[in-house]
Amino acid sequence: MNRALPLLAAAGLLAGCATTPTLTLLPTEEGKQGAVAVLEENGRPMETVVSELNSSTNLSGTPRTRSIDPAKMSARQRALLDSLPPAPVRLTLYFLEGTTELTPESQPGLAFLIKEVSERPGAEVQVTGYTDTLGDADANDRLSQQRAEEVLGVLAKHGIDPTLMSAVGRGERNLRVATPDGVSEAANRRVVVTIR
Amino acid sequence: MMRRAILTVLGLAIMAQPAWAEIGRIKRSVGATAVERGKAKLTPAPGFQLLPGDTLVTGKNGQMSLTFIDDTRFSVGPNSRISVDDFTYDRTAQSGSFVTRVNRGSLAVVSGQIAKSKPDAMKVRTPTSLLGVRGTRFIVEVSK
Repeated sequence: MNRALPLLAAAGLLAGCATTPTLTLLPTEEGKQGAVAVLEENGRPMETVVSELNSSTNLSGTPRTRSIDPAKMSARQRALLDSLPPAPVRLTLYFLEGTTELTPESQPGLAFLIKEVSERPGAEVQVTGYTDTLGDADANDRLSQQRAEEVLGVLAKHGIDPTLMSAVGRGERNLRVATPDGVSEAANRRVVVTIR
Repeated sequence: MMRRAILTVLGLAIMAQPAWAEIGRIKRSVGATAVERGKAKLTPAPGFQLLPGDTLVTGKNGQMSLTFIDDTRFSVGPNSRISVDDFTYDRTAQSGSFVTRVNRGSLAVVSGQIAKSKPDAMKVRTPTSLLGVRGTRFIVEVSK
């Protein structure tokens, strides 16, 4: 019994510190499937696809994959995962036809954005404006840029550092709802704000 | 006079360059950390903007978290040396290429748009292997 303890401890140490480079594949945060392919090992081309979630694969010598118990990950691995930044968030705000005025329904979205930025040190805020297909393309390029800048301006007024933010207008490109030219479509009059 | 004007214009162009080339931002930096850019050794703080070619270095108690402009997220563990050898991203097409080299230490990754854009557009190199990332969350560990 006494003799077994040091042995167990030694086994734990071996498992805890990777002696050869190791890949640990995990499910995505949404629990989805993913894969990593080993394309080369010590200069030898190959294609060994690792798709078993909660697994460990050695990256030197022939890749071998074994299951791991995610509950028994090392403290270092857990700390590493816990330190991943939060997933970026994206919010779409809609505008009244031909204007840079937000629809009443989209107004509360601004408060959400301000809160998100304040909770994310080192945030990057990307504002992209769009229009529907009513009016000519050049005018819509300008309008979409103005929409993006309008939102950026409001966020700046609420204390978000403008140097964290960028605004671009994409006009009628990337319609959310496909329409022919010259069609008023509320779903296309929008600004998408991404906070990373 | 003319020459000064030209120099000023050049200066502006050079100053503006990093803003266009930004590939991601540091979100958290704890303990001994540095970003090596050419011969410069910079101290990252939240909001620090990364450029292609940057090397992330952490000491014994160092840790860094960062998010790239394609939504890829990194967590760098202690005693690490990790270089972003290549990063190109077209924000409109949401595609590009991304090569990271883990020389030593540990790196947790949640892949983003580049990995989604086409198979193996995102690669991770270790001293012994080359990995193609196909949209997932994973850890790579390389001991000294």
